[in-house]
Amino acid sequence: MDVSQYLEIFIDETSEHIQNLSDCIMSLEQEPDNKDTINEIFRAAHSLKGMAGTMGFKRMQRLTHDMENVFQEVRSDKIKVNSAMIDILFQCLDAIEGYLDTVKNTSNEGTEENEAIVNSLNVILNGGDPGEGGAAAGGETQAAAEETKEEEKEEDGFAMKFLKNVTEEDKETIKKSISSGNKVYGMTVYIDKNCLLKSARAFLVFKAIEDLGNIIYYDPSSQDIEDEKFEFDFSICIESEHEFDELVAAAKTVSEIEEAVGKQIEEADLEAKAAPAPQEEKKEEEKPAAAPPAPAPAAKPAAKPAGKAATNKPAASNKPVTSRTVRVDIEKLDTLMNQVSELIIAKNSIVSISNMEGDTTHSQSFTEQIEYLERITTGLHESVMKARMVPIESVVNKFPRMIRDLSKTLQKPMELVMTGEETELDRTVVDQIGDPLQHLLRNSADHGLEMPDVRAQRGKPETGRIFLNAFQEGNNVIIEVGDDGNGIDTQSVKEKAIERGLVTPEQAENLSQKEIIDFLFMPSFSMAKKISDISGRGVGLDVVKSGIEALGGDVEVKTTLGEGSKFTVRLPLTLAIIQALMIEIEDEKYAIPLGSIQNIENIEVDEIKYVQAKEVITVRGSVYPLIRLDEILDVERKDPEAEKNKTSLTVVIVRKGDNFAGLVVDRLMGQQEIVIKSMGDYINNNKMISGATILGDGEVALILDANTLM
Amino acid sequence: MAGENALTTLDGDKKQYIVVKIGSEQYGIDISFIDNIVRMQSITRVPKAQEYFNGIINLRGEVLPVMSVRKRMGLPDDEFNNNTRIIILKIEERGGLGIIVDQVKEVVELGPNEIDNYSPETKDEKGDFIKGIGKNNNQLISLLDLNAIIDDKESM
Repeated sequence: MDVSQYLEIFIDETSEHIQNLSDCIMSLEQEPDNKDTINEIFRAAHSLKGMAGTMGFKRMQRLTHDMENVFQEVRSDKIKVNSAMIDILFQCLDAIEGYLDTVKNTSNEGTEENEAIVNSLNVILNGGDPGEGGAAAGGETQAAAEETKEEEKEEDGFAMKFLKNVTEEDKETIKKSISSGNKVYGMTVYIDKNCLLKSARAFLVFKAIEDLGNIIYYDPSSQDIEDEKFEFDFSICIESEHEFDELVAAAKTVSEIEEAVGKQIEEADLEAKAAPAPQEEKKEEEKPAAAPPAPAPAAKPAAKPAGKAATNKPAASNKPVTSRTVRVDIEKLDTLMNQVSELIIAKNSIVSISNMEGDTTHSQSFTEQIEYLERITTGLHESVMKARMVPIESVVNKFPRMIRDLSKTLQKPMELVMTGEETELDRTVVDQIGDPLQHLLRNSADHGLEMPDVRAQRGKPETGRIFLNAFQEGNNVIIEVGDDGNGIDTQSVKEKAIERGLVTPEQAENLSQKEIIDFLFMPSFSMAKKISDISGRGVGLDVVKSGIEALGGDVEVKTTLGEGSKFTVRLPLTLAIIQALMIEIEDEKYAIPLGSIQNIENIEVDEIKYVQAKEVITVRGSVYPLIRLDEILDVERKDPEAEKNKTSLTVVIVRKGDNFAGLVVDRLMGQQEIVIKSMGDYINNNKMISGATILGDGEVALILDANTLM
Repeated sequence: MAGENALTTLDGDKKQYIVVKIGSEQYGIDISFIDNIVRMQSITRVPKAQEYFNGIINLRGEVLPVMSVRKRMGLPDDEFNNNTRIIILKIEERGGLGIIVDQVKEVVELGPNEIDNYSPETKDEKGDFIKGIGKNNNQLISLLDLNAIIDDKESM
């Protein structure tokens, strides 16, 4: 079977399963006897195995198979979860991820056998302890008993289960078939427990039976059977002219089929037996119609919204509900976004033409239509933007695992508390924010948190606390990363800066705390006393800073020595289109992103005061430094004299975090939606300009980056 | 204009060059680097940019930087008139870039034996941007080394 077309689906779904497994194993470590978690892990491992098998990735399949075996044993309480086992399981996950990466790059699983991991798994399986002796988590045996019993019952009996979960709708179909004079049989097929490709076997059974009759009902649904979402048995109803024995014989010609039981169905059976089937949530499967291996006839019944058939396990209802989503290639969204950008530029030029003509010849309806058009384009932009938004979850949910590993490597007990994982950001931003955040977390774990004995002396709980909070604030998303550790020792940073010759000792005396901390963001300024592989190679915070700035964001630090530090990462919600205030200096037009503007003031020249020879203004009790844009942008004044004699100034007060500054402009031109265009990398400009935009009249205006102006 | 001539077939290893006038001299630009030639249009100044960048323009919705070859070569400032053109170069990886020339004259074909290696006897700024001299009907054409023009090591 050619499976290459399923490769993308395989990659996506495998990553999801791996993430799911990782989450579950983490929580399993916390509560080693949580049955739901164990079941969830079992299911995920099982699906992984199935998918790998279908795709023909034998090594991956073998690994997941052994992993599944371990969970089978855990589930039936034959072995206990301990921390050595968790370590092995995480190694497994890494190995599977390794396979997945190889698959991504080469469409093949590679040749890594991962013997060691497989062996360790088998050691666990045989009751041995792979690493540290007998550190078994105590006291967990009871909970599993019930379920195991239930399963055993089923195993012995080969019960006829074909009418167990039949819905009203299906009953109607069966009845109709019976009343139109067909013979209808119910059959439950049991597959050998060691069978690896259950869905393939099931498919062969269907094929064999469809030579003799029509399958009119599947339990679980044929879709679920294809996806291996069933235990070791499935049930079907067949309308056929043949005798039942022939059907059973046909089914049994397929290898690895243990048993097939059933009988002819009478209408009476339907009335009596179909006890009100448990109300199933009808989850519509968004799987592409052609999931492997979909035979045309079998696909027919599955095509109608197949109520997710009841698997016989009670835990099935805990499965996360699949959201109604469509996978879209990010490139398509990029194209769409570009087209929306073009549309907005076109709209802006219509608006500017209508304003320019100035005369009143425009009918009222023309103006109305323009306003309507503006509303539509703004709405369209918002929708496209939303479509590009993904929760940061996909990035941050690998962090608990990372902290766990770090905790082991560094021999420091620590925990990660995350909030706001559901906060949404533009896909491009999310894709690139992972590394900077990871860096900050590692930093906290390595440098921030003290060793347990030091913490005890300081009266802090031994387990260090690292936090990651994400939330939206206006047009920005804020991600705070920090710890309750030692904080940044500004004194030693200062000494280091002097040592490196970055400042003279005299200068250092006058530095504010913030200025000192800024040294940390300079290239090759590592504070680690010894180099570790976690951090401290001097490629730390400057990478974080440049990574975040490349996304149009910024990062700030607050720290208290002995109490901890907090890095605040501020990111724009979207990258491509923003609201901006257009301003003019002489005849040059500039855009200031609305997100960074606090307010706009008219200031009399004689209100300007001087602090350390720098101009400041006072507005309602707050002092703002004044920045003359014409000076720092080298604007040529046509009439310098007139400039000097001005009595009042228009000041745009911009804000970056807790810092404010007043920008002196000549004229305000109004608010406008602008499309950010890159200027390429030929032109150097000390970062004051964050990009360019095309105005309605085709002119290019520059976008000022308020953050770097300060 | 360039369009019709560009269609003529190439014999052998001959390369096509667009001949432009910058100052009093004629320069040749390898046609395979040229995306477009547009008339002079309004250029937005970029503060703090390298001195030889005039600024940026809007070319059908794309923002492109525009460089003055005159300033780059240390020649007197441009005087824009009806003949002034912006040649849009397409450079792999780094995107488009416009350079301002005084006039676009013609397209010529030059084979390897019509090009002399340029060995600068006098080291002046101009010489750094020439990679050869082409001979065509008794006139000499300095072939521009575009990489040298784009590469701005001195301003780093």
